[in-house]
Amino acid sequence: MLKITDLRAEIDGKEILKGLSLEVNAGEIHAIMGPNGAGKSTLGYTLGGRPNYEPTGGSVTFDGQDLLELAPHERAAAGLFLGFQYPVEIPGISNLHFLREALNSQRRARDEAPLSGGEFLKLARAQADALGMDVEMLKRPVNVGFSGGEKKRNEMVQMGIIGPKLAILDETDSGLDIDALKAVGEGINRIMRAPDKAVLLITHYQRLLDYVQPDFVHVLADGRIVRSGGPELAHELEREGYGILAA
Amino acid sequence: MTALALPTPRMEEWRWADMAALKAAADSPRADAAIDPATLFLDIEGPRLLFVDGRFEPAHSKPGPVQVTQQVAITDHPLGSLAEGEGWSLHIGPKHAVTAIQIVHLGTGGESHVPGRLMLDEDAVASVIETYAGSGWANRLTTLCLKRGARLMRSVRLVQSDGFVSLRDEAEVGEAASLVSIFLGAGGMGSRIDGSLLINGKGGFAEMGGALLTSGSQKQEAAVAVRHEDIEGTSRQLWRAVAADKSAASLAARVEVARGAQQTDGEQSLRGLLLQRTATVNLKPELEIFADDVKCAHGATVGELDRQALFYLQSRGIDPARAQALLTRAFVADALARIGEEAVREAFAADADRWLDTAL
Repeated sequence: MLKITDLRAEIDGKEILKGLSLEVNAGEIHAIMGPNGAGKSTLGYTLGGRPNYEPTGGSVTFDGQDLLELAPHERAAAGLFLGFQYPVEIPGISNLHFLREALNSQRRARDEAPLSGGEFLKLARAQADALGMDVEMLKRPVNVGFSGGEKKRNEMVQMGIIGPKLAILDETDSGLDIDALKAVGEGINRIMRAPDKAVLLITHYQRLLDYVQPDFVHVLADGRIVRSGGPELAHELEREGYGILAA
Repeated sequence: MTALALPTPRMEEWRWADMAALKAAADSPRADAAIDPATLFLDIEGPRLLFVDGRFEPAHSKPGPVQVTQQVAITDHPLGSLAEGEGWSLHIGPKHAVTAIQIVHLGTGGESHVPGRLMLDEDAVASVIETYAGSGWANRLTTLCLKRGARLMRSVRLVQSDGFVSLRDEAEVGEAASLVSIFLGAGGMGSRIDGSLLINGKGGFAEMGGALLTSGSQKQEAAVAVRHEDIEGTSRQLWRAVAADKSAASLAARVEVARGAQQTDGEQSLRGLLLQRTATVNLKPELEIFADDVKCAHGATVGELDRQALFYLQSRGIDPARAQALLTRAFVADALARIGEEAVREAFAADADRWLDTAL
């Protein structure tokens, strides 16, 4: 589904990704772990197409398409969802309005009929209920006044409504208390654990992996994948710390 | 046009005023109206008045309790003092209500001057919706007087395709009375929205605010002063300016708190958004306080659309132009949210959307 080959990327002229390769197949959940500054968030943003995150070499294909050629909104319509570490607050736009615009923009781009107000509301309510988010929060401006945990739940509600093929979740576990962590973990499993979907979980800590069992764990350091393994690698890192990478 | 000394940019209070556009509009020839006036009224039940080039048109009006009268302008305001002659007036008795009064001003060219007068006795309630469409120079003086406990909601939209609209409001707000005037400048005309609000009763509330949207080489401005003369008064000035291309939007807002006007609660929020770096937003917040127990919050900022927010919307599948439009709409949303009646609020939001569709 996603094939990253020797990807290089820089921010403001500074190279952060230094030849990263990774392949994610449908039905798989991959965790990317690594110390601060290794390039984890840069990987997420580069795949999402954020301005200033400049790919300088290598290739990324998503379902056979050249991902790096697509604008951010086209990547979304192709089925890629980027979960933000720091979801942006947008005063003046309600969550519902925003999500209906988003979903219907994607549907139009795929030549699918847009959802009516009623159909959309039904879907949004179901997803909010499943994530334990008060439906009233959907009427409020996007992320404004939300706690860290509420913002992350909101990311998951968005993911549930949009229903992507591939979710790249950047530090979705940061800032979460244990209840929110559990809710978010269950959300990821419910929405994305499917034979035709895949997840790239970017995380610093192992704790989210107690709820979302990865099929593969990769360690990112200094812009490259330096080790790959099964779920046991996450436990080893948690026990030994990232210091073992130097050894 | 009227032979008189118009204000010049050398006068501090008129430094951003586009008097050249005003003169050009005044000198423009009259033409046949290209707009059906019926389309300019919102589908809300209530008194309706149509003025075409400043002249009352009974055929398209059903004024109800609103009277059409000859008036003399009692003001020293340089533009307001020109608004004499045929105009509208309404005096609402104690505890009476007249809502959804719609006044449409349609211009075809040249200059037009119309005075308006609204008096609300104790605990009277009114709401007024004004629409400016067409072209030419529309010059208006509106005198408002709210007695104890009276409430007025006024919504004014400027959607002339070109020309100039100059509005002068002079209001007195009595004890526990409430005046809210919200303006939307979403046409191609130049404008000057000029207000002087006096709170002269205990606990009075006065608000004047709105959104000015400019594009091309257009200039729009608002210049509002609120004066607190009695205790426990509240005033709000919430303005949003959006400027595209080489246009300029200017906001000057002033709060004066007289000696003894204790427990005044004043708030000014002036925010500008530049859609291109060639555009200009001027902001001038002013406070003049002669009482020691007052709360006056003020904020003035100019910026561009938040890049992070733009990327966030795009990452969810929204194309860049639509993302820009959504964020710009959101930027002006809190100013328009002050409009009390839902149907009016929606009509104004639709005007803002139409502006965005053409400007972006």
